[in-house]
Amino acid sequence: MLSRRDFVKLAAATAAVGRCLQFPAPAGARQQTLKIAKWAHFLTEYDRWFEAVLAKEWGERHGTRVIVDHVPVEEIGKRAAAEAAARKGHDLFMFPWPPAEFQRHVIDHAEIYQAVASRHGNVDRLGHKSTYDPNTKQYFAFADSWMPAPLHYFADQWAAVNMPLGPLHYGSLHSGGQRLRAKLGVPCGLALAPSLESNVTLHTLLHGFGSGILDAEGNVVIDRGARTVAALKYAKALYDDAGAPEQLTWGAAGNLRAMLARRTSSTINAISLLRTAEKDDPEIAKSIRLSPPLLGSAGVIAVPHVTNCSAVWTFAENREGAKQFLADLIDNSKTVYEKSLGCNLPIYQKTVPDLIVRLENDPRADPPYKYKELKDALHWTANLGFPGYANPVAMEAWNTFVIPRMFLRVVKGEASPEDAARAAAAEVTQIAEKWKRL
Amino acid sequence: MKTNGKKAPAAALICGALLLLWFGAPAAPLPAQTQAAATPDGLLFPTFNPPPFDFNDAFYTVNGIDVTQLDTPGAARFGLFRRTGPPAHDGQVNWVIDNTGTDPDRRNVRILATTGGYIDDGTGAPTQFISILAFMLDQGFFTGVANARGIQMASIVSNFEAYAALKQVDAHGVFRPTPCGTMGNGTTPCFPVTSVATPNLRQDWRFATNRNPIDGTAPFGYFCDDILGMWIITYFWYVDTGFGPHQTPLCHQMLAALGGKNGLSLDGTPIIKTGDELNFLEGKVVGTNPIPGFLGTNPPSPPCTAEGQEDTGGADGGSVWLVCPALPDPRNGAITLDAFLDQVRRPNGVPLDLAFTANFVCLQVFGAFCNELSPGQRAAAARLAVQQ
Repeated sequence: MLSRRDFVKLAAATAAVGRCLQFPAPAGARQQTLKIAKWAHFLTEYDRWFEAVLAKEWGERHGTRVIVDHVPVEEIGKRAAAEAAARKGHDLFMFPWPPAEFQRHVIDHAEIYQAVASRHGNVDRLGHKSTYDPNTKQYFAFADSWMPAPLHYFADQWAAVNMPLGPLHYGSLHSGGQRLRAKLGVPCGLALAPSLESNVTLHTLLHGFGSGILDAEGNVVIDRGARTVAALKYAKALYDDAGAPEQLTWGAAGNLRAMLARRTSSTINAISLLRTAEKDDPEIAKSIRLSPPLLGSAGVIAVPHVTNCSAVWTFAENREGAKQFLADLIDNSKTVYEKSLGCNLPIYQKTVPDLIVRLENDPRADPPYKYKELKDALHWTANLGFPGYANPVAMEAWNTFVIPRMFLRVVKGEASPEDAARAAAAEVTQIAEKWKRL
Repeated sequence: MKTNGKKAPAAALICGALLLLWFGAPAAPLPAQTQAAATPDGLLFPTFNPPPFDFNDAFYTVNGIDVTQLDTPGAARFGLFRRTGPPAHDGQVNWVIDNTGTDPDRRNVRILATTGGYIDDGTGAPTQFISILAFMLDQGFFTGVANARGIQMASIVSNFEAYAALKQVDAHGVFRPTPCGTMGNGTTPCFPVTSVATPNLRQDWRFATNRNPIDGTAPFGYFCDDILGMWIITYFWYVDTGFGPHQTPLCHQMLAALGGKNGLSLDGTPIIKTGDELNFLEGKVVGTNPIPGFLGTNPPSPPCTAEGQEDTGGADGGSVWLVCPALPDPRNGAITLDAFLDQVRRPNGVPLDLAFTANFVCLQVFGAFCNELSPGQRAAAARLAVQQ
């Protein structure tokens, strides 16, 4: 949530900006170029639209040639780091998560939020806590959309163990998953090997068990108390009793492929999984249902699958164009939602005012109300870095897969839960020390 | 008002003495000014909150509940089953047929058994009163049809936890550190999880009636969205490192501190009243230490307690969910004169937590919580509470 002080500051600045959304264009009539690096969306048709229509039309309106490079999710961090080190590259870098560790190389994005606020209101909690640094009092990125991470499950398979509504809580994922594997030979499929999917899944699991990497003040708490160990023991039992060895080697989208082949009974993912199934195999899609995150000892909670955060480099050659592009992007939130087939939910909710109506009657879904389970996704989604902000320590831990590696060691039997938690804490502490020195 | 005729006189004396202490005033005759305020129906206060009735079949159906499942012995729906027996004592009945109700979503079964519980807002106040209408044993109780707003009842209910504390010490004094069934670790001895009837509880319930989307505690509000008043039961227990022969020194220290604050359950373990107390004992970092008297700030590892829910496929044989609506406002008539309090009692019949007894009597007789009454009314309530 915005603090009162932040809110007043933002509102005052918004009033000053007024209705003007224009960032000053460079003097001279020479055609500009805007270079965008964008993480490759899970739905290729979205990226095609983004480049061929959205970017192209924006460029025509602003006398700018827009170049869009699509970067695979697994390479985003590396490519961004290379550009930051060289102080050269794209003007605008679009990340699928908060790029907090690059904040020394980016502009303060507050003025973009201020410009957008005059038309669409203030940024919501998820966007704010994903892009604001309370220490520097600056926004290191601009969030426009996000993807929730619900549980996907095969209703027909879970019905075989008397759970047609899915497992509902972590205890039943284990007990029902155990029976389901014994009865149908199908394991339940949480992503475990380091990847975006395992990062999302295992951070969600950790929060569900009442633990996390840092507390609200930024202290390393992963090894404080017993909740991380409880989560690790749970994951080990789940894997042993209801899992499958292939989970240990899944790469990017491995859980998606397993679901589409009906080789796993449930997984945590963005709804791009279900959208892919609807397109490729409607019969399989028909059996897949969504549900909110599983109930754990800390309640119903998940981290986002994607927080679409864009950063303008300080060394950007077309800084003003990049800012203008981002501000104008919010005007297109409704189209972004539609072209992403509902995967990208808006940060500015007023831009898709009939979201609930769309969720309860989706033209591609069978049954059409299937996506209604996402109605309250903002309520059960916590930002990366929860309960604090998405700070450099949390995001470096995210990008170096501290949590998936910790879980994997336990699941594989390479370390005890206690040792794995301690090792992860040591690693995060080292990261935190490094950031203190910088 | 019914009383338990089997209580020992000594127990009644103890109970009375303790209640007098709780009320903080000597028992006295009903004050004249209070009597003068009696309404034509004999009550001493205006009544505008209706007492609890069971929902009608149509209302259950439109909210995604399979009535044919509710009307089975396992679900034990009030109006069909459990007219007598726990929580009713000898001479009491749990429900009566009553045709005076006017709510079109309810039927003519009025509930007398009123279960007390702590509120989950962090205070642990003994102010929640619910009516246990039926038990739901597996997902087959849900029809899978969304309600009028397009929401599955199962999704709503997952946000509202009723915390049940089953007895862990058996009749021979043996501490059982893990539940039997899917929530447990497979070791023995384990404590059974097939019934949450009051005689099986070591302490009173805690109900998350306070959760709502406004303060971010849940996507739904209990009194706004959970209109059948349903709960998912979260069982919580002391683990082997928390109590018994394998108790760690840290858990020993924490339990001593918490017991000093809240008192002890029937098992001799501390009563847990708040979410922070339970979470902290489970080993969760909760910000500030919720156990005064304990000097440490880090939660225990290994933990002292654990929690879980039963298999939603029904593998544990007990209740996964409850249809137990809380009284939105137990004052001004919601607790009638023929209702009785269902609470955990010691073997001698004395209530484990007299605060429930006191509040129940104050609500029943004066239509208000005890702390809202005059000293004279409190004294009168104390005199009546002794008979409970």
